[in-house]
Amino acid sequence: MEPQLLFFIGKGGVGKSTTSALTSVHLASHPHKTLLVSMDPAHNQRDIFDQNFSEKPQRVSENLMIKEVDTDFWIEKYLKETTDQIKETYKYESAFNLQNYFNVLQFSPGLEEYALLLAFEDTLKKYGDQDFIVFDMAPTALTLRFFSLPFITLIWLDELLTLRSQIYKKKEIISKIKIAGREIEQDRVKAKLQSLIGNYEQLQQQFLSDTTKVNLVMNNDKLSFSEAFRIRQKLSDISIIIDRIVINKLQQDENTAEIEQEFKEQKIGRFPLAANGLSGYAALTEYIKANKNAFQET
Amino acid sequence: MTRFLKWLKAWIIDAFKITDEVMRGKAVETIEHEVAELDNIFGILVLGAFIGIPSPPIHITMELLPLMDKELNIMLDKVLTAHDPLGHLFSVLGID
Repeated sequence: MEPQLLFFIGKGGVGKSTTSALTSVHLASHPHKTLLVSMDPAHNQRDIFDQNFSEKPQRVSENLMIKEVDTDFWIEKYLKETTDQIKETYKYESAFNLQNYFNVLQFSPGLEEYALLLAFEDTLKKYGDQDFIVFDMAPTALTLRFFSLPFITLIWLDELLTLRSQIYKKKEIISKIKIAGREIEQDRVKAKLQSLIGNYEQLQQQFLSDTTKVNLVMNNDKLSFSEAFRIRQKLSDISIIIDRIVINKLQQDENTAEIEQEFKEQKIGRFPLAANGLSGYAALTEYIKANKNAFQET
Repeated sequence: MTRFLKWLKAWIIDAFKITDEVMRGKAVETIEHEVAELDNIFGILVLGAFIGIPSPPIHITMELLPLMDKELNIMLDKVLTAHDPLGHLFSVLGID
């Protein structure tokens, strides 16, 4: 069975890492095989669990593993693979000195979210046997770019494929007239475009699938509320629906009527403020025991 | 006499073949030019980042670049005729 994917998104500082960590510990204790993936470059999970993590998942309990995505590692790996391929193709074009271009490419805008996407694909491929994969996402801007990347990429790929098909058709006409219909060589670029489209359509479907649940974390304050409102709008532009609103750091008897009114269609999870902060696995377990209601909608 | 006829037949066939080839070449000359232009546009669209024009997300460029040596060469060839694009077009269309 496919794993259920839970994304925790929201404004910086609202408690995405804490609520995703608590949810992961809760799921693992129930007992579901759970992998918590930190996609936030700030990597707060190491402070919450009070231990270091890396690209290789580390087991923290019987059913819970945690890994940190290293975007630099993915960018470097990707650039190296592409550079090797290019060196192979352009052996005779050494005058271009393409290596110089590549040294600059690692600073290209857009590579960070692409690295996240590569890490996401890799996680799904390697850990598809989990019941739940929980993603602790980066703050809003990077997360929105991550979610919209397959959609924007597909728009470009479709346009490029249309142009490429037009070129291929004309080449076929030329070959028919000039070399009496001998079949022309398969267009490698067109084939690559088609394979990329297949790949990105799959990713897009994954984001829109029932097994993907987006949890929007917020605090009960004006700034957080406004940003949550905008995130919902941006995600709905690419047809991604928010499944649950997680109100974090709630004080006792705090009024959340305005949030409930605005997000009527979403489930609501309420996470009370942890008075002494949360650090270490034992503290997380204690919090879950004391606040069972917060996890009812998980 | 038979030898002469055979030679004549072969000559006519050769002449026909050459004419056919020339005519076929003439017939596709314009389309070939159009294809080269389209290849150039495709190259500019994908590799725009290298010459400072808006381009697709960088990963699309990176995925296609290893397969686009021909387009890259066409783009470089076009640079040579870039100072007189109309002259180049007129010569393709056979306008003096």
